[in-house]
Amino acid sequence: MQGNGFKIFLAVFFFALSGYYLYPTAQNYFIKKEVSGLSGEELATYQKENFAKIRNVEEKALKLGLDLLGGMHVTLEVRVEALIRELATDTDDAFNEILAAATAEVENSDESIIDLFVAEFTRRDPNARLSRYFRNETAGITRRSSNEDVAAFLRTEANEAVTRAISIIRDRVDRYGVTEPSIQQQGSRRVIVELPGIDDPDRIRGLLRGTARLEFRLMVDPADNVRTLQRVIEFYETGVASSTTGVDSLATAETDSSAVASADTTLDINDLLNDDSNNSGNALLDVMQPLGQGVTFGRVAEQDTAQVNALMKDPAVVALFPRGVKYMYTSSAVGTTAEGNEVYDLLGVRDEIELTGDVITDARVDFDQFTNIPEVTMTMNSEGSRTWARLTGANVGSNVAIVLDGVVYSYPNVLQRITGGRSNITNLANQAEAQDIVTVLKSGALPAPVEIVQESTVGPSLGAASIRAGLYSVIIGLMIVALFMIFYYRTSGIIADLALILNLIFIVGILAGFNATLTLPGIAGIVLTIGMAVDANVLIFERVREEQSTGKTLKAAMEGGYSKALSAIFDSNITTFFVGVILYSFGIGPIQGFAVTLMAGILSSMFTAIVFTRIIMDYVVVDKKKSVNFG
Amino acid sequence: MRIFENSNYGFIASRKKGYIFSGILLFISLISFAINGLELGIDFKGGREFVIETTNVLDATAVRSALSSLMASNPEVKTYRVDGVDQLLIRTVGEEDIDVVRDQLTRGIESAFPGSNPVIEKTYVVSARFAKDLERGAIYSILGSLLVIFVYILIRFEWRFGVGAVGALFHDVIITLGLFSLLQGKLGFSLQIDQTIIAAFLAIVGYSLNDTVVVFDRIREYTGLFKSEAYDSILNRSINNTLSRTIITSGTTLLVVFVLFIFGGEVLRGFAFAILFGISIGTYSSIFVATPIVLELKNRATKR
Repeated sequence: MQGNGFKIFLAVFFFALSGYYLYPTAQNYFIKKEVSGLSGEELATYQKENFAKIRNVEEKALKLGLDLLGGMHVTLEVRVEALIRELATDTDDAFNEILAAATAEVENSDESIIDLFVAEFTRRDPNARLSRYFRNETAGITRRSSNEDVAAFLRTEANEAVTRAISIIRDRVDRYGVTEPSIQQQGSRRVIVELPGIDDPDRIRGLLRGTARLEFRLMVDPADNVRTLQRVIEFYETGVASSTTGVDSLATAETDSSAVASADTTLDINDLLNDDSNNSGNALLDVMQPLGQGVTFGRVAEQDTAQVNALMKDPAVVALFPRGVKYMYTSSAVGTTAEGNEVYDLLGVRDEIELTGDVITDARVDFDQFTNIPEVTMTMNSEGSRTWARLTGANVGSNVAIVLDGVVYSYPNVLQRITGGRSNITNLANQAEAQDIVTVLKSGALPAPVEIVQESTVGPSLGAASIRAGLYSVIIGLMIVALFMIFYYRTSGIIADLALILNLIFIVGILAGFNATLTLPGIAGIVLTIGMAVDANVLIFERVREEQSTGKTLKAAMEGGYSKALSAIFDSNITTFFVGVILYSFGIGPIQGFAVTLMAGILSSMFTAIVFTRIIMDYVVVDKKKSVNFG
Repeated sequence: MRIFENSNYGFIASRKKGYIFSGILLFISLISFAINGLELGIDFKGGREFVIETTNVLDATAVRSALSSLMASNPEVKTYRVDGVDQLLIRTVGEEDIDVVRDQLTRGIESAFPGSNPVIEKTYVVSARFAKDLERGAIYSILGSLLVIFVYILIRFEWRFGVGAVGALFHDVIITLGLFSLLQGKLGFSLQIDQTIIAAFLAIVGYSLNDTVVVFDRIREYTGLFKSEAYDSILNRSINNTLSRTIITSGTTLLVVFVLFIFGGEVLRGFAFAILFGISIGTYSSIFVATPIVLELKNRATKR
């Protein structure tokens, strides 16, 4: 056994290291087992008493991928083109065309949208200066700034936007309360969010995407509103006579807008929205019930909103709108049609944003004292309070729209000047919605919109089934290979099997030690490794047999076998290891898990085959002077 | 027990048969690509995939017709049973909001099949843009692997071996892809090309190479040892002397992959299938493609 001291040290060291890294995983397992037998109350006390321990163990235990554990894996992309548009001022058609071209091109390119945008801009007019769109004194972009300066400015802004988006998303996720979330940047403009054990993906999706643009806007002048409605209806009038039900009702609306009873409204909805036979011949009136009372333009059923949007987008129609006014829907339904489809009001709001969510310092969920309906109460900073007081003071008797992410939540009539900077968001569906709005308001608005480009959500029962399937495969695979090795290589096969088991411990130890995640493809990788791990031993044993057949003693044959097989083992494994590295760098999520187990398997199988089995062989043959049968 | 001990097959002598066999397989694969193409999974195409658990078994066609009246596009529906639970696999394309689609699915199934209690167990969504990035990543990773392998073999052996190894790998990947193209939709499980299948291809590349390198290593050793022997006989001897190792390692790996194919669940079935076939073809190619390429290159050099 002389000269094996270092090898033994290494083997023991790695074994101990694996044990050290796997200990929390074992602890975690036993804690989970203990906890599962406890009642609700006992559980709470247990968790309280052992909080630090549980937390520590969970952090260090081998992590299971979301495909096994259940949960949500989302890749978000920060829309840099929207950011560019937002940073630009005095945009014109040329700007829009260039940005659209760059946005289309980025899909087939590795280059960033900013580079493509700048390249496209210079391609169209080499002498033009980008600075005319991006003048910004604080960032030092003046009329004389070069295109490179502007590009650098955009790049900085984009990077900042991604960094801020990450911290905002992290904040939102923390407020929602997910255990062990993982939020990482991927590449230059993507963010990977991993949330284990999510049972309400719809809510999370809203929370991640919500830009939380809160805006306070003044609204359309009622008289202008009615006039516009009349003109738009006339625009879409295909019949000869200009007198339709819509215009008739407008006449009443104009004379006495407050007197339009809600009973009449319901009747109108049924007339205009549900009765398909009642084809008025007016494209707009087919899909919208005209109201023209106060700031309300019309009433639209949920399924017709897309059509109405298309009609309202026509440039000739937009030209009919009062100056500086656009139309937005209410956030919640104002009623239902006879068929049960929800209807929304289309409201006229001013383009100009009087106040934004930036001034909000605090927000909380409240309940209306009469109806007990949840609402969000917001507090503004001193600057916001001042503007709010001035705004409300100057508009007593008019409506102010509270707009969140492009829809009007409420448009209260201002009764008096509001000091102290308080406001409410009402008309919320439920407490969860109120809570989510508070969350996004408190985390702040995202600097640029984000889009979910990839999502994978796995329920816990499917994950559990995958774990079972993976575990069966590992156990059955291990048994078959182990039996085969003993059958084919006899005593040395047993030694190879010991190495195989040690190998498994090492792989899982490496995963735990490097804080890697075990996924379903990762388990597949372990199963594959079981099949391949014996390869190094097979190479050695076959070599030993060859040496033996030339008449060498067992000791000499072993010596020759191990040393001659070395180069083949090394070359064949190192190339596979490279493949693992490449797979890791290009794959996502579960596939990376496969790459990691593949690499871990290669390293540990080389070690166990070359070092560990050699120690055992030497011990048996040299120290114990016993024979090892190579079959 | 010993198999292939002192085997002395004329692998090199009968390499022409191997060329014909490989040629036919490659030809069929390319024809199949041209006719059937490859069925890309949503990883590379973009789209949505849902796994829905139901309390009773539903008919796939009935589910499909119930859903297609509700949804913008015709969904693809498959049913299977895992661990005693009935599951529906639904694939759709489209740009609608995912919350809306999920709602349509559960409501649509529940109203068409009352009491089926549909629960969405898995949602997988890939946007078209992200799919393009994944596709690029997959192509880069396969080409990158082949390049790295070529360079490594170049450094450790000589260039002919690099060409032989990479040629054999191309051979394996094309024929396995050809099989996927030929059999898609004809087996009871999905053969769509997705990320997992790309991982399987890289595993095939790794393992096929493993066999090749072991033979090459022996050639390298024997070239130094038997200087007077003809090159083709050295190659043949190398293949024969490593044959039992090649067969045993491939055998144990095939065994475990077969276990994975049977017990690994629906998600891993296509993966296991690819590797089962790929390892078999990889073992064949290290003997009948990689080594003969080395010989042909050497022969051309000496003729000149």
